[in-house]
Amino acid sequence: MRRLLMAVWLALTAMLGGAVTAADSQNPQVEQQQVQPLNNAPVWRAVRYGEPGVTQVRGVDSNVLIQASGETWRQIRNGPITLYGGVLLILVPIGILGFYRLAGPIKTHDAPTGRKLERFSRWERIVHWTTAITFVILALTGILLLFGKHLLIPLIGYEAFSWVGAASKNLHNFVGPLFIFAVACMFFTYLRENLWKAHDLEWLRKMTKVLTGKAHVPSGKYNAAEKGWFWGGVAFLGLVVGASGLVLDFANFGQGRVVMQVANVVHGVGALLFVLASFGHIYMGTIGTEGAFDAMMSGQVDETWAREHHELWYREATSRASPAASTGGAPRPAG
Amino acid sequence: MARMKFLCDAERCIECNACVTACKNEHEVPWGVNRRRVVTMNDGVPGERSMSVACMHCSDAPCMAVCPVDCFYKTEDGVVLHDKDLCIGCGYCFYACPFGAPQFPQSGAFGMRGKMDKCTFCAGGPEKDTSEEEFAKYGRNRLAEGKLPVCAEMCSTKALLGGDGDVLADIYRERVLVRGKGSEVWGWGTAYGKPDKPAGDPQS
Repeated sequence: MRRLLMAVWLALTAMLGGAVTAADSQNPQVEQQQVQPLNNAPVWRAVRYGEPGVTQVRGVDSNVLIQASGETWRQIRNGPITLYGGVLLILVPIGILGFYRLAGPIKTHDAPTGRKLERFSRWERIVHWTTAITFVILALTGILLLFGKHLLIPLIGYEAFSWVGAASKNLHNFVGPLFIFAVACMFFTYLRENLWKAHDLEWLRKMTKVLTGKAHVPSGKYNAAEKGWFWGGVAFLGLVVGASGLVLDFANFGQGRVVMQVANVVHGVGALLFVLASFGHIYMGTIGTEGAFDAMMSGQVDETWAREHHELWYREATSRASPAASTGGAPRPAG
Repeated sequence: MARMKFLCDAERCIECNACVTACKNEHEVPWGVNRRRVVTMNDGVPGERSMSVACMHCSDAPCMAVCPVDCFYKTEDGVVLHDKDLCIGCGYCFYACPFGAPQFPQSGAFGMRGKMDKCTFCAGGPEKDTSEEEFAKYGRNRLAEGKLPVCAEMCSTKALLGGDGDVLADIYRERVLVRGKGSEVWGWGTAYGKPDKPAGDPQS
C-alpha cells in the first residue's frame, strides 16, 4: 500500500515537473535569456500588451505594468462622444423647435365634447413621473459631468464647478438605481398596450402623412411612434444604459479597468441617444400635441382627443366603460 | 528648467519593495493606497525582471485629459499634480492612466471612492510648500526642500532613478555601454566562449 502511494506520488511530481518545464520553454524570455542575456524584448513586449505579472501590492489590475486601452478610451470619450454628442445635443432641439415653428402643435379637428375618458391610471402616472423625474436628473448631471469642464468652468471657476461636479456625481450614482427600478416598473406596466399590432405597420408606412395631418391611421392606446419609444427607448436603451451604469456605479466588486472603459463608452453613447430621443418624446408630450401633457398629469383625456389620436383604443374604452351610453357619443367614421 | 522623470532599470531592480515602503512611510499614505508598486514579469523563471512603477508624470497626461473637474495641473518641472479639494472621486483618471497610478482610499458602492491619491514626485500639492495642510493631503514636499523623490534616493541597487530627465539619460546610457550586450554580458564570452548552442540543456 505504501509502495503504491509512493508510486502515485512520484508519478504526480514527475507530471507536474514536466508541466513546469513545458511552460518555461513556451516563455519567450526564458529562451531569449539563454542566447542573449540582457535582451529583454519579450518582457517589454509582454509589458506593452498589458500581460499581468506578480506584485505584492493588492488592488485592481495592480499586477499590470502598462494598460494601453486607457488611452483608447480617452480618445473615444474625449473625441467623438464629446464632440458628436455635444453637437447633436444642440442641433436636435433646434431641429425640433424649427419643426414646431413650421408645423405648429397637433390639435384636434373637432371641438372637445367635455366628456372625459381615463387614459392613465394613478399607478401608470406615478410610474411615468418617477421615471421622468429621475431621467431628467440623470440627464442633467450626466451632461454636466461630460461637458461641464468645457462649458461651466470658464463661467463659474474651478471651485464652484468642483462642487457642482461632486453633487452631479453623487446624484447620478444614487438616482441611477432608482431610475432602473422605475424603468423596470414602467416596462411591465406599459407592456401589454405596447405589443405590436398589424395596424402599427400601416401607421409607420404612412408616418410622414400622419405626422403632417394629411392622413389618419387608427391606432390603439399607443401609436407606432409611441411604441417605438417604448421598445427602443424604455426597453432597449433602458437596459443598455442601466446595465452599463450599474457596472460603473458598483466598483466595489473590483471590475478591471477595461470593463469600466467599455461600460463607460456604452453608457455614454446609450445615454446620449436616450437623451436625444427623449427630446422627441418631451416635445410630443408637451407643446407638440395639445392635450397630451394634461393626459399624463390628470390621467383624463377628452373623448374627441381619444377618438382622433387613438381611435381603436377609444372604441374599446367607450364600449367597455358604458356600452349603453356609447350611442350618445357615436364615433364618427375615420376621417 | 529640469524635466523631472522616473527611470527603473530592469537589470538592477531586485523586487525588494523598499521604494513602496519608503514612499508609504515618507508620506504617511493611508491603508489601501500605494503610490508605488513593484511588478515582476516571469516570476520564478529564468529571465525574471522586476520594475518599480508609479505616476510617470506624462507630458500628455491622460488623467488630466479625462478629469471632469480639471483638478490636475503641471508644475514647471513637468510634475503632474492634482488638487484634492477639487477632486470628486469619479475614478476616470484611474481608467485612463497607463500605469495604474491613481489610487483611491475606498471602493464603496455607488461610486464612493474618496479623493484620489497618487505619486507627487515628492512635490506636494497646491497648498503652501511644506505646510501642514500640504503634508496632510499630499505628503512631504521634498522638491521644495531641495531633495529628490525618496523612493529613488534610497533604492539600494540604484535601479530606480528620479530626477532631471537629461541627467537620468546620461546615467543610463553609461550603464548600458558598460554592460555591453549579448554574450559580452557577465563576462560569459571570456568564461565559457560564445554560446553556439542553447545553454542550460546538458543533453545536447
